[in-house]
Amino acid sequence: MSSTSTRAGRTGAPFSRRIAPRAGHGFVAAYVVLLIVFGVVPTVYAIYFAFTNAGNRFTGLSNFTAAAADFRFIPAVEHVALYLVFWLAALVVFVVGLALLLHRLAVRGVSRSLRFLYYIPGALAGAASVMVWLFLLDPTVSPIGFLLRALGYDTFGQLIAPGHLAVLFTCIAFWTGAGGWIVVMYGALNNISTDILEAARIDGAGPWRTARQIEIPLLRKWIVYMVILAFAGGTQLFVEPQLLSQASNGVAGRDYSLNQLSYDFAFQNNNVNGAAAISVELMLIGLIVAAVFVARSRFFDAD
Amino acid sequence: MPTDTRRPALPVPSGTARGARPRRREQPRRAGRRMLPNPLAAVVLMLFLLFFVVPVLWLVLAATKTDGQLVQSNPLAFGSWHALRVNWDKLTAYQSDAIFLWLRNSAVYSFGALVITLCVAIPAGYALAMTEFRGRRALLVATLVVMLMPNTTLVVPLFLEINAVHLIGSMWSIILPYAFYPFGVYLTYIYFSTALPRELLDAARLDGCSEFGAFTRVALPLAAPIVALVGFFSFVANWTNYFLPYVMLPQSSQFPVQVGLGTLLDNVPQFNPTVGSLAVQRPELALATLLAIIPVLVVFLFSQRFLVAGLLAGATKG
Amino acid sequence: MTAKVRAVSAKRSGKGRRRAGLLAAGGALALAAVTACGGGTSTGSAAPQQGFTEAPQAGGALTVWVDSTRLAAAQLYHKEHPSVKMTIVTYDGDANGSNYLQTKVDLFDRTGSGWPDVVFSTQNNEVSWAVPAAFTAPLNKGLIPQSTLAGWATGANNPCLVNGTLYCLRNDLAQTVLWYNSALMKRWGYQVPATWEQYEALGQKVAAQHPGYLVGSAGDTFTPEIFMWASKCGANQITGAKKVTVNTTSANCTRMASLLDTLIKDKTMSTSSVFSSDFDKNDAGKILMLPGPAWYGGALFQGTFKTPKGQIAVAPMPQWSGDSAPSVGNVGGGTWLLSAHSKNLKAATAFLTWVTTSNDYQAKVAPGYPAYAAAAKIWLANQASSGYYTGDITAPLQAAANQVWPGWGYGQFSQEAIWASTVTPGLNAGKAIVSMLPAWQKAIVNYASSDGYQVKQ
Repeated sequence: MSSTSTRAGRTGAPFSRRIAPRAGHGFVAAYVVLLIVFGVVPTVYAIYFAFTNAGNRFTGLSNFTAAAADFRFIPAVEHVALYLVFWLAALVVFVVGLALLLHRLAVRGVSRSLRFLYYIPGALAGAASVMVWLFLLDPTVSPIGFLLRALGYDTFGQLIAPGHLAVLFTCIAFWTGAGGWIVVMYGALNNISTDILEAARIDGAGPWRTARQIEIPLLRKWIVYMVILAFAGGTQLFVEPQLLSQASNGVAGRDYSLNQLSYDFAFQNNNVNGAAAISVELMLIGLIVAAVFVARSRFFDAD
Repeated sequence: MPTDTRRPALPVPSGTARGARPRRREQPRRAGRRMLPNPLAAVVLMLFLLFFVVPVLWLVLAATKTDGQLVQSNPLAFGSWHALRVNWDKLTAYQSDAIFLWLRNSAVYSFGALVITLCVAIPAGYALAMTEFRGRRALLVATLVVMLMPNTTLVVPLFLEINAVHLIGSMWSIILPYAFYPFGVYLTYIYFSTALPRELLDAARLDGCSEFGAFTRVALPLAAPIVALVGFFSFVANWTNYFLPYVMLPQSSQFPVQVGLGTLLDNVPQFNPTVGSLAVQRPELALATLLAIIPVLVVFLFSQRFLVAGLLAGATKG
Repeated sequence: MTAKVRAVSAKRSGKGRRRAGLLAAGGALALAAVTACGGGTSTGSAAPQQGFTEAPQAGGALTVWVDSTRLAAAQLYHKEHPSVKMTIVTYDGDANGSNYLQTKVDLFDRTGSGWPDVVFSTQNNEVSWAVPAAFTAPLNKGLIPQSTLAGWATGANNPCLVNGTLYCLRNDLAQTVLWYNSALMKRWGYQVPATWEQYEALGQKVAAQHPGYLVGSAGDTFTPEIFMWASKCGANQITGAKKVTVNTTSANCTRMASLLDTLIKDKTMSTSSVFSSDFDKNDAGKILMLPGPAWYGGALFQGTFKTPKGQIAVAPMPQWSGDSAPSVGNVGGGTWLLSAHSKNLKAATAFLTWVTTSNDYQAKVAPGYPAYAAAAKIWLANQASSGYYTGDITAPLQAAANQVWPGWGYGQFSQEAIWASTVTPGLNAGKAIVSMLPAWQKAIVNYASSDGYQVKQ
């Protein structure tokens, strides 16, 4: 027993787990019920929709081919791919960078207030921020109007040109999403032993080297985890184009992403089967990337 | 306009430094930090502060203006207390205090689901991490698959299910789906598997504790951080969800505040020109938005201490 | 220790599969239960009369869905008829591109219950999905007498007609007229244009003599409904339940497009939406003329721009010279639908008739120009006597109500959304509308096809 207790919170042997498998069932019973009712059944039903037609007859892959043949499908794939590049790059670089900077601050109060202030936009989800962005992106009334006009945009319409949308959506998504991730990364940084950092400081490492050689490697697991979730969220992009479409009365952001196309199929054409086909595709992409991560980090094992 | 707002929730960092000697975290000055921040760092932090805060500041100031001032005056100028008062009166007059009804509904749905989530997810995550039973891996895989499925096509089956048990239109049609929070289970799973030493549980079992006893007497007291974390993220996800209540709830008196805001938006003349005398002006909408986000921020402030602090509490043992 | 480890692992893999099997079985059972309960609609036992199979009539409370603007109508009816039990539900009215009604009806169809009895929609194209879904009841096969139906403005109920059967009733009209600033016109000595040629010439004159002033706006999503529709452009000829003919490059379309391009180049036609902040800030006080729908008067001039009273007047929409059949466009309106599943047809029909034709609501309370001609007369008189407008507004509005060109229909696809995503970005980038007409055509064809329409070009 003592040989297995050298590392905190971990034993190699499943000895202690073997006890009481039935109790394990008791603990998860309520969750399993919810999982089946609100998770498995709707998902299986959705997959069923993807392979059948409106008359409940099995149709093989025809929903998938029909969805792919829609004139909005290929542009949506391109949009989402471009958005993912911007979004993942911005998230990783800025979230990790800001967390590192906040962690270096000596005064706790400032760090805590900044984390709170960075988080506030996260509370403005969806419908709540339509008006905010409508005004923010209009150079005539925006608080950053001088900046937009300096960049050469005089009207809202010029700013929401199709070529700018990937960047705009990245900005909006980052604005709402980064605060929470910064808090999480900050917590991860707090778990790094101060001895290591002290040793590095004594060795003469400046902030850049410490970050590159100590902090980021120790954060790698969490960065990868953040990338996985951001990837799945990015492929399922919906809220940001929908909100810009509402703010601009349909000029920008309509049919921009695959998830919006799925939504249109379901609720405009009553084509739940086509919508399910796209949803299944999005789920599969997310699963493949997650599976790679899970396999490489042995996520499902004890720790 | 329906929006799908269930966002992926966030993971909790586990003890990445194994075998670290315990350090008291309540130190005002950390080793290796200088008192004066690097000026470049300060500039970067300030720039991002402006990026995050200026739109919110605009929103706060917008609530103090009239609609005309919103367009004509300086975006970051203060309006007037009088205009704020007028906006407040008009907002509360909308369908006679609908905004408070919506806030109350949101609170009921979010807290109700939160309680159930905690009662379900914490034991489930504990069991997944600390006990071995048949189907453990299958459960983890199933949870992951379900989490990655886009919500759009889940609405129809969910509606049919809720209808089959005649719960359409009752608050349970919202609370029960909200209570299913697989990410809370994953958070708990990670936390317990990395931060809770097995030795404690083994000792409790050797002492004759039942499994449930070991859970309540050993694991739960150490689980305060994860309870707060799961609670906060579950609360925010429930509070900001738009699409599920939009589809499930027939009466506007049952709407949570997110859907209520969508209703207000539909009555803004710039978005819907034919509203006539029932128009909701944009500053009122701004005020409503501020009311809608205040609870989230309050809960954040309350739980922020747990969000970054005590996760090490488990790692200090052993 | 090692032996036990191996034993545990073996146990884990074997039982794990069984557990997964249990999960799947449980899921399948639940799924079967749900599918058994779902689906299927109630069938009426009454013989098909009045053109459709009625649901068994059970009476009970009348369920009415309205948007918040029409809530006043439902409440007024309840006040005047206290014996009628009503359940009034407000929803978004399908405004802003929402598909709420269609979504909910689809869900109700799957569960077999829950439909409202009467529902208001801000959109005119609900029948494009509601008739195939058998949601809406035919109204001209006995439910509402022909004499009543004849009281609507000419062509007002066209969006509700499918193969000669009327499936909804129009609530209000939004016929386009020429709004203008009478004070400025007089001051500068201009004549109100009667033809598009005169309108274009005046626009060019204003550009030279009073730069900065506007004669119109082409930046809205409903711009095609004001200009293209009035010009008889064949971009949206709905010829059947799921049939459409699209031709955006005909002479009628091209000459209107080049008129708009000329004035845009001269900067007397704005490319910003009239509801945008920059229009409000920079242009609201510089409007000489503005072709637009009937509701511009209240919503735009009085509401948003707060133009001082006594300046705004109304003239008939310009026509192409030599055109013997004057035509105007239409931007909006709203429709009332009666559910074919209603268990309370008598009360529902009574409410429907009252709300679309009564003077108490349509003439006195309704914010929009009533589609029912008799109520419209009184409504107009009230507007005129308000003292805000100058000159006679009733004659042009009344005339235009009967001149809406019938060649532009309402399909399931939204013409406004197509223009917004196809043409408006090009306008913002400085492209000419004439150059974008083929792209506009392609987009309409694409959207119509993906909505299941048979498209002729």
